Amino acid sequence: MSGIARWIGFAWAAVSLAIVSLPNGPVTALPFGLRPAALEADLVLVKKRPPPAAPSAQPPRAPAPAVPSVDPPKGQTSGTPPTGAAPPPLETPPERVEADVSTRNIAVTSGFSGTEIIIFGTVANSRQVSAESGFYDVAVVVEGQGAPSIVRLKSNVGGLWINAQSVRFDNLPLYSAIASTRPLDEIAEARVLTANSIGFGRERMIPGRGSSRVAPEALEDYKWAVLRLKQQDGLYVRNDYGVAFIGRSLFRASIKLPANIPVGPLQGRVYLFHEGRLLASNSANLMLEREGLERLVYDYAHEHPVWYGLAAVLLAASAGLAASMIFQRAAS
Amino acid sequence: MNVYLPIAEMSMNGWLLVSMGAAVGFLSGLFGVGGGFIITPLLIFLGIPPAVAVGTGSAQIVASSMSGAVAQYRRDNVDVKMGLVLIAGGLVGTVIGVQVVRILRRLGQFDLVVSLAYVTFLGAVGTVMLLESMRSIQKVKAGGAALKRRAHAHSWLDGLPFKMRFRRSKLYTSAVPPMTIGAFVGFLAAIMGIGGGFIIVPALIYLLRMPTNIVVGTSLFQLVFVTAATTVLQSATNQTVDLPLAFFLVAGGVIGAQLGAAAGVRLKGEQLRFWLAALVLLVCFRVGYDLVAMPAELYSITPLVGGLE
Repeated sequence: MSGIARWIGFAWAAVSLAIVSLPNGPVTALPFGLRPAALEADLVLVKKRPPPAAPSAQPPRAPAPAVPSVDPPKGQTSGTPPTGAAPPPLETPPERVEADVSTRNIAVTSGFSGTEIIIFGTVANSRQVSAESGFYDVAVVVEGQGAPSIVRLKSNVGGLWINAQSVRFDNLPLYSAIASTRPLDEIAEARVLTANSIGFGRERMIPGRGSSRVAPEALEDYKWAVLRLKQQDGLYVRNDYGVAFIGRSLFRASIKLPANIPVGPLQGRVYLFHEGRLLASNSANLMLEREGLERLVYDYAHEHPVWYGLAAVLLAASAGLAASMIFQRAAS
Repeated sequence: MNVYLPIAEMSMNGWLLVSMGAAVGFLSGLFGVGGGFIITPLLIFLGIPPAVAVGTGSAQIVASSMSGAVAQYRRDNVDVKMGLVLIAGGLVGTVIGVQVVRILRRLGQFDLVVSLAYVTFLGAVGTVMLLESMRSIQKVKAGGAALKRRAHAHSWLDGLPFKMRFRRSKLYTSAVPPMTIGAFVGFLAAIMGIGGGFIIVPALIYLLRMPTNIVVGTSLFQLVFVTAATTVLQSATNQTVDLPLAFFLVAGGVIGAQLGAAAGVRLKGEQLRFWLAALVLLVCFRVGYDLVAMPAELYSITPLVGGLE
């Protein structure tokens, strides 16, 4: 697994020491003529890095010992890049990923009919040779607030289809979008994805109080039904090739927010993978807020519900009166 | 033209809402019904959350019935005294109904009760009215007068106390039956999210023997007040009245109601009743079909936010 990583590590070390003088190691075996991509990458490196004579940024470039293939997948937690207390290879500084969204505050006004946000990020210390190399995998998750929801199952009782059983899930995200560089199951094992809450969270669905007693298999049906219904409503969206690298370290994902998206905070999370291992993650938040008249209406409805109701009646009644007056005048 | 509805939290085509309001308003002006039994299922069908559909539907009924009531009043078709008695009963019924709704919601079978209530009442009222109106139409064709009003039809209803004279309806009867009808309809209005016109109209015609024209105007008159009370109650308890949604429905509704009232002048009473019966039965079959037909999707999700629990 660490083959390529080590290989790249050596390449890096080699380039930073000198371009022409090839030290020992696999780099010598590199048939330049046959690997233009690698060549390009090396040249880019040369351009970007300070000349090898002044290695100030990353001073000790000893022959690469071992690349960070040590940390086991289970220890990966989201939130912070694994820049842990034990930084093994000075050779290849660990990747970090930084992310942000194109719009941090989205105004939901009378014209709101859905919108699109761009989540973009960059891989610091990227070892990728080009945008197309597919060296890294990125998964982007945008999730709304969790809310308790009741899932009901109809069954036929005496000829009528009625809600017979129900399961309450206490924390179903109101909205969830996942974009990735390729299908999730190719990026990492299910275990790794689950541990980082990448996915629509079937495993996070736990029946809450007030649920009917259902068999485990039946419970699975409920969970699948949630995903199916939410996807039908356009509230759970998945785009397997929705993240694209632009260059060695910059990537972007466009996420469509549908018109029926519930307002509230959204969290965008970005995960950087390489060969099934989570290297780093980061998050960015955005806010969907009612603005203008819509906000006024909503706030008033919740803060002064009785007056709001009277206002609604007044509006309706006066509209009715006005119409009948206009028609009366037109008739006479 | 898409508009965002802040309470329903979705965007919809404004023109669609206006034309829907107009169509329902037309029926409202024509038959003297609020149209709630059409608008509420329609809004739910369009994806508006049921609680918002019920709450906002009542605001729309205020507008269209106000528009229709004024038009009818001008034609001297409103028995104000009868209307006030119905309203008094209706307010009592609404308050009781709101409490029953709370209990049913807790038991989790509110939807079923609503559907069954729709099928039962729409079916019964529609069938009776259809048969009667067909008989009347045949009688008229045969040369007789439609629905002969028996001037002194003594029944047990006349034995009740609190006799009142309803001049416009040409009735001298106890206030208890109209009050009871009003209360019953107010009760159903709260449960079914409707104005109850389709029940009050036949009840006034067949139980109290009021003339059909007066019934339509009086029904609209009392609808204005009962649905206004329902709207305020819905807003106060559930915050489920969507003003922008109501605005678009109302804009179409008031115009439709005027056209409907004008069209109603050209229809005879028994024809009016026939078509109302047909409409009521149509909605009844639609709701009933959903109860017995196997649904395509057996599961449903209800998020417990915004007071919908």
